[in-house]
Amino acid sequence: MDFAAIIGNLDLYLQGLWVTVQLVALALVIGLALAVPLALAASARRVWVNFLPHAFIYCFRGTPLLVQIYLIYYGLGQFAAVRESFLWPVLSEAYWCALISFALNTAAYTGEIIRGAMAQTPAGEIEAARACGMSPAMTYRRVILPSAFRRALPAYGNEVIFMLHGSALAGIITIVDLFGAARIVNSRHFVPFESYITAGFFYLCMTFLIVWAFKFIERHWHAHLKPLRG
Amino acid sequence: MNENSPALAVENLRKNFGTLEVLKGISLAARERDVVSILGSSGSGKSTFLRCINLLETPTSGEVHFKGERIEMRERANGERVPCDRKQVDRIRSRLAMVFQQFNLWTHMTVLQNVMEAPVHVLKIAKNEARERALEMLDKVDMSERRDYYPSHLSGGQQQRAAIARALAMEPEVMLFDEPTSALDPELVGEVLKVMRGLAEEGRTMLVVTHEMGFAREVSDRVVFLHQGRKEEDGAPAEVFESPKSERFRQFLAGNLK
Repeated sequence: MDFAAIIGNLDLYLQGLWVTVQLVALALVIGLALAVPLALAASARRVWVNFLPHAFIYCFRGTPLLVQIYLIYYGLGQFAAVRESFLWPVLSEAYWCALISFALNTAAYTGEIIRGAMAQTPAGEIEAARACGMSPAMTYRRVILPSAFRRALPAYGNEVIFMLHGSALAGIITIVDLFGAARIVNSRHFVPFESYITAGFFYLCMTFLIVWAFKFIERHWHAHLKPLRG
Repeated sequence: MNENSPALAVENLRKNFGTLEVLKGISLAARERDVVSILGSSGSGKSTFLRCINLLETPTSGEVHFKGERIEMRERANGERVPCDRKQVDRIRSRLAMVFQQFNLWTHMTVLQNVMEAPVHVLKIAKNEARERALEMLDKVDMSERRDYYPSHLSGGQQQRAAIARALAMEPEVMLFDEPTSALDPELVGEVLKVMRGLAEEGRTMLVVTHEMGFAREVSDRVVFLHQGRKEEDGAPAEVFESPKSERFRQFLAGNLK
């Protein structure tokens, strides 16, 4: 094995790593911000409120992320109306297309995670909130959502890891993220094993950080679920 | 609102679940400082009755007056009855505390947070003041030492006492107890009843749905017996227990007072 090419291109890997971190972090922040209203709307009782959020979640969970990226990056450009619109500067850039598809994808998954967690709120806790005079909005803010976020945490940790790994698809639409960097190194030096195992190593390290961060959050947020010590 | 109006008055309350008639016209008035025990076998509608008072269930017909103020109801196009003004209901609920059979503490909050929650966010009391009040209430139910525990780390009796402190922290004018000891192990019932006895002695207005005959007989000023959605008996515990007028209540007592 020959890691000289890898060492020589370490700065390329680090640049790629930075792009991956940016893309994933932005997508997660936007996705989470969209997921909460999405989950609230999807759990509404009225069909005309919950229909669109449900359709959105169903479509984005029902199709591969790769298809979604291709549709947004390659697909939309096919239409003159899109090319002539004010959105074109954004939609013609691979970076923004990847970010849009990642954010929408993780919003759909996270929305469903939060919706499910909200639905599991014990009815008695909601009744207790209503019985002491909380409005429906306050009941959501003070009881249902805080309790649901805690329940959603392990599933959301999984979603963050999936998003990190899914972000490798950005490398396919010309973005030099971590995976994109590995592809470039491989094409220049013909060392597929070394270039991809290096990318894998970086993904592994980031996953480790994510797992550790979620452990940390769980320690604080899940204090009420742990058995009592001594 | 006039001075003489009862703390709580219910008039001809009916409640149907579909075609099932659970409450068939019940009236009840509780004066200030009254402790009313509501007895009845399961399915008699006693919990539903209590839940209709703070509108956790919407009465099919009938009226609820709190401190002389009527809870205004209207009928929707589909025949469903809803309160006219949600804010009125929320405001009345904040003065009408409820203690549940299953405690219903908020599991993600510590005991102290549970007790401070509604005073801070519903009554908008300053945090330090709410904290002081909460500590005082926890002391009253003998739960001060457990204030930083989460509900899942407490016994049923402790949870119920914390739930009573949570209700007390609202400084409610009327307290509703929905079978507060029915979910407890027999040896834990006593500690909760002791707290409730203390509240009754303070002169709090309480409506208590219960199976505890001792409590009904010794602590309450009035005993009401419901059977199949009707009020069968209503009077001072001495007269009701000594010379029940209704045959049903006699049978009920025979079953319970072995």
